Amino acid sequence: MESIVFGIGITALAGALATVAGAAENTESDIGSQGDPNSQVQLAPQMGYLHRIFNKAIAGEPPAWGLWIALGAGIAWAFMAMQVNPILAIVLGAALATFVQGVYATTAYLGRTASLAKFGQPVFVDVLKSMTTVTMAHAFVAIFATVTVCHLMNAALGHPFPLPLLGLVWGIALGAAGSATGNPFYGKERQYQNQKYGAGVPIAASGNIVRYAEAGERNSLDNGWFSARLGGPASGVCFGLIVFLELWRTVLFEHIAAGWGAIIIGIIIILVFMVIDRYIEVWARKNYGPYGKPAEEASS
Amino acid sequence: MSAIGAKPAAGSAMDMTATIIGIIILLVIIAATYFLVGPGMAFMALIGVIAGGILIGFGVHFVPVGGAPAAMGQAPGIATGVAMLAAGAGLAGLFGGAWAAELGIVVATVTGAVGGGLMMAITCMFVNFIYVFGMGIPSASGKVARDPITGDTQAEFKSQGTEGHGLPFVSYVGGVIGGLFGGAGGTLIYLMLLEVYTEELPGMMNALPGQILPIAVTLAGIFAIGMFLVNAVLAAYNITGTIEGPHDPKFKRFPRAIVASAIASAVCGMVAIMIVAL
Repeated sequence: MESIVFGIGITALAGALATVAGAAENTESDIGSQGDPNSQVQLAPQMGYLHRIFNKAIAGEPPAWGLWIALGAGIAWAFMAMQVNPILAIVLGAALATFVQGVYATTAYLGRTASLAKFGQPVFVDVLKSMTTVTMAHAFVAIFATVTVCHLMNAALGHPFPLPLLGLVWGIALGAAGSATGNPFYGKERQYQNQKYGAGVPIAASGNIVRYAEAGERNSLDNGWFSARLGGPASGVCFGLIVFLELWRTVLFEHIAAGWGAIIIGIIIILVFMVIDRYIEVWARKNYGPYGKPAEEASS
Repeated sequence: MSAIGAKPAAGSAMDMTATIIGIIILLVIIAATYFLVGPGMAFMALIGVIAGGILIGFGVHFVPVGGAPAAMGQAPGIATGVAMLAAGAGLAGLFGGAWAAELGIVVATVTGAVGGGLMMAITCMFVNFIYVFGMGIPSASGKVARDPITGDTQAEFKSQGTEGHGLPFVSYVGGVIGGLFGGAGGTLIYLMLLEVYTEELPGMMNALPGQILPIAVTLAGIFAIGMFLVNAVLAAYNITGTIEGPHDPKFKRFPRAIVASAIASAVCGMVAIMIVAL
């Protein structure tokens, strides 16, 4: 009984840390235009819209995060093998992985922006100085929280994978969840704030991203502020739920019916989310209504 | 032939010459493995690895991926890359499957499948949450007039100048099915390799099975992740960019991916097995 209570406590802590990690990951990603919206940041100068938006996307969000988390976890694991206190080891691992992220961000911004020289897009050194450190700060939070989650899975819950491997697995999952949830909010809702609310961006408007703020030119810190309102927290809750529910069903129900208990609970959770999704879809159709007449009526 | 002179890519058609060559390579690898290691566990592991790879390659086709256009609400699907999303879901499944490895191959594989499906169920729900409550955009498919599962009409919910947006219910279900297949495939590969390594490594390294277990788990885990990415990327090439799910015409291309995944998994599997079995 005690071990189950302990497991539930660890599960809750891991879920909370994963929520923080997801929120920080998405905000970092949006400040650096790491996700799919980077295509518009890159396209804008080619369409004649020069800007001061930071763009460090030279890898997809999931593999980039897989690298950083695995790196942080690997270094922390090495320190722990040298009998360093786990918390200090994770802090050191996260800090060193953050420096790698900083190098990555610097070279990526310089490389991507320099490639736009023929379209007249300058490399802004002040953008590099001010944005890189902010993305590094967010990256540290996300790496520290995720490596801690992995350490809890390994050391407290007894998962057989070593810490660096867990870091790779959950780093890729973190990037996948964060980019899936957060990208549309940054890509459509922020970059194309000049387009109509409640509709997709017409393909003809591609590249015409918003470049001016209330005062002066918009920069990526403004974008981070905007994303932190919904995209970041939603990504955090998404990743937090993935980690929490995966651990919860295993810790509580794996011992029932030789493992089938966790499977049945997992299927029930999937069905519950399916019902919630369908409710959201129907709610939107009823409350927002169609953009035009149904195809059958229009043709008749 | 130059690229300019090449014929346009055939939609879902199988290139018979390439398919036959591929199947011959596959059979040669299977035969070579049989010849080198015999009909024992290592050979069965290769068959399991190929089956796992096929599950992954097939499953990726279900995952609704919209890429960059989805991030602007210009196309339906999840706003990230095909291989990346499938890897995220499949590896989350592998995590659960590896945890349940001691409960037997069936329970562990199904646990891995449910883990992948769970990751996709939550992620896809949040995609629609952001679209609906963050951006005020309802879901609409650009490929079908009606959702094949719910029967909802789609065209009138498509905003002007776009190919659709969000995740219609059929895409959501496709995402979950893709996660199930990916999780099961990744876990199956892991279990097969783990069995070979736990059997062969103690003799090879003159150590006790208990001492060898962490190395076996790590090796099997790394190979499983690597093979997952190989199969996911192959399927992504087959999809070429974006896909809405099982109702998308591109879904019919999956036989090509199955052949390609079988060959790639056979090559990778042979290498993974030979490092200890020879």
